[in-house]
Amino acid sequence: MVCADHGALLMNMTLTEVAEDGERIARVLRYCYDLYDYDMVLVFTDPYVEAQALGCPVTLDPYPTLRGPASNHSVDRTEQIIKAADILKSEIPVPVFVSIKGPFTLAAFLGGVEHYLKATMKSEAEATHLLQEALHHQLAYLRKLLSLSVDIMIGDPLASSSVISPGAFCKYALPGLQTMVDMAKAKNVRVGVHICGEVAPILKHLDDLSADILSIEDIDVETETIRMGGVGTDTILNGDVERIRSEVKNALGNRPIILSTACDVPPQTDPASIKTMVSTARENDPDHGVQE
Amino acid sequence: MIESIRKAVIEMDDEKAIELVSIALKEKTDPVDILEKGLISGMQEVATLFARKEYYVPEVLLCSEAFYAGFDIIKPLIGKSSQQSKTKVVLGVIEGDIHDIGKNIVKVMMEAGGYEVIDLGRDVPIAKFIEVVETEKPDILAISSLMTTTMVHMANIISELEQRKLRDTVKVIVGGAPVNEEFAARIKADGYSPDAPSAVKLVEKIIGG
Repeated sequence: MVCADHGALLMNMTLTEVAEDGERIARVLRYCYDLYDYDMVLVFTDPYVEAQALGCPVTLDPYPTLRGPASNHSVDRTEQIIKAADILKSEIPVPVFVSIKGPFTLAAFLGGVEHYLKATMKSEAEATHLLQEALHHQLAYLRKLLSLSVDIMIGDPLASSSVISPGAFCKYALPGLQTMVDMAKAKNVRVGVHICGEVAPILKHLDDLSADILSIEDIDVETETIRMGGVGTDTILNGDVERIRSEVKNALGNRPIILSTACDVPPQTDPASIKTMVSTARENDPDHGVQE
Repeated sequence: MIESIRKAVIEMDDEKAIELVSIALKEKTDPVDILEKGLISGMQEVATLFARKEYYVPEVLLCSEAFYAGFDIIKPLIGKSSQQSKTKVVLGVIEGDIHDIGKNIVKVMMEAGGYEVIDLGRDVPIAKFIEVVETEKPDILAISSLMTTTMVHMANIISELEQRKLRDTVKVIVGGAPVNEEFAARIKADGYSPDAPSAVKLVEKIIGG
C-alpha cells in the first residue's frame, strides 16, 4: 500500500504540502502509480484526516502525529481527499480505493487513545457516545465518497486483537464496521477492511462482514473473503532483493490474494524494493489484476 | 488483606486498592509486604494474563492505575534499601513518535518486577537518550517505536553510543509493533521483545547473563 507520504518524499515535498491539497495528493499518487505500475491505487495521506476534521490537533511533518483528543480547532481535509479521489478516478485505469477510518479507531482518536481504551472498560456511556459521534461522521463522509463510485478501504487499527479483546471488538468495533461495509456494498463498490496486528481471535467476525477484501498481516489463514497482504513492512523497508522475492513467492502460494504490504509502505522505502516486489509478482502471476 | 490488595490490582479496582492499602497501613502491615506480596504480585499476575491473552491493553491500563494508586501511598514509607532495585532501566519512545501506551505498560511491569525505571516519556530526542546513558549509567536502555518511520532512529542511538564509547556500558533492547527480532539483530541491539511481559523476562535474561 503505497501512500501519499512516500510519493511526497519522492517528489521532494513535505507531507503537509501534499496532504492539504487534493490536486497534489492526486499528483503524488499518480506519480507512484506510473513509477510502480501496480493494480490498484489507495488514496491515503495519514490516519488522522477525520480526527482532525472533528477537532483533534494533528501535525503532519516529519511524521503524522495526533497531538491530543478533540478540541475546538478542526481542520477539514476530507474535501481534499474527495478531490484527489475524483481526479485519480478519472485518470487511472485501475481501481481507486479511498481509505476511511473505522468508527472505533476514530472514537479512540477523538477521546484520546489511552483514555478511550479505559472508557471501554469503565465508562460504557462515554465510550458509546464517542463511538456514535464517530460513526455519524464516517457515514456522512462515506456517502460523499460513494457518490464518486470509488472503492473503499476501511482501516480500523485499534480494533486489532493486539489492543482490545474479542469481546470488546464485538461490542464496540464490529457493529460500526458492518454498517459501513453494508453501506458501501449497497452502492456496488468494492470494500476492504484493514486491521493490523493480531486478528486471529476475530477473524471469523471479519470474514462474516462480507467485505470484498481483508487486509491483514498474516494472510496464511483460511477466509471466504479475499485476503490482502503478504509482504512485511520491515521486509519492504529493510529487506534485500532475495528476501522480498521470497516473501512475494510465498504469498502467491496463498492465492487468490491481493499482494500487498501488510500495512502502509514506509515513506523512506527504496523505490527499487517496491519495483522488485511488483516485478516478482508479475513474473510469478501473469494473470494479475483486480478481478470483478 | 494483602491478598485482597493483590486482587484489587488484578480486578482493576483503583479505589479498592487505595482503601485496602490505607487499612493495611493502619493495621501496621509492613509496607514492603504490601508492595511485594500485594501490588507487585498482582501486576505479575496481570502480566501473565496479558501474555495468555486473557487481558488486553485496556485491562492492563486499568490494572496499572490500581497498582500506582496503591504504590503512591506506600512509596514514601518504604526505605530506599527496600526499594533498591536489582537493575536500572532507562525507557523511552523514540523521537517523532508519541505512541506511549506500550511503553507505559512496560514501565509498570518493570517496576512491578522490582527494577528502577527512569521513564524519559515519548518523542525523546536521540541526544536525550545518550545524555541519560552518560549521566544515569543504566544497565538497560529500552527503546520503543510504534512507527516504521521512527524505528530507524533506534539504529542511530546505537551508533551514537558506539561513537561516544558508551556502547559497552549499557544493554540496548528494542520493541514496538513494527520492530522484530531480525531488525533488532540488524541494528545490533542486545535484545528484542514483542510485548511488555516478555520485556521483563528479556531484562532478567540479559542481566542474569
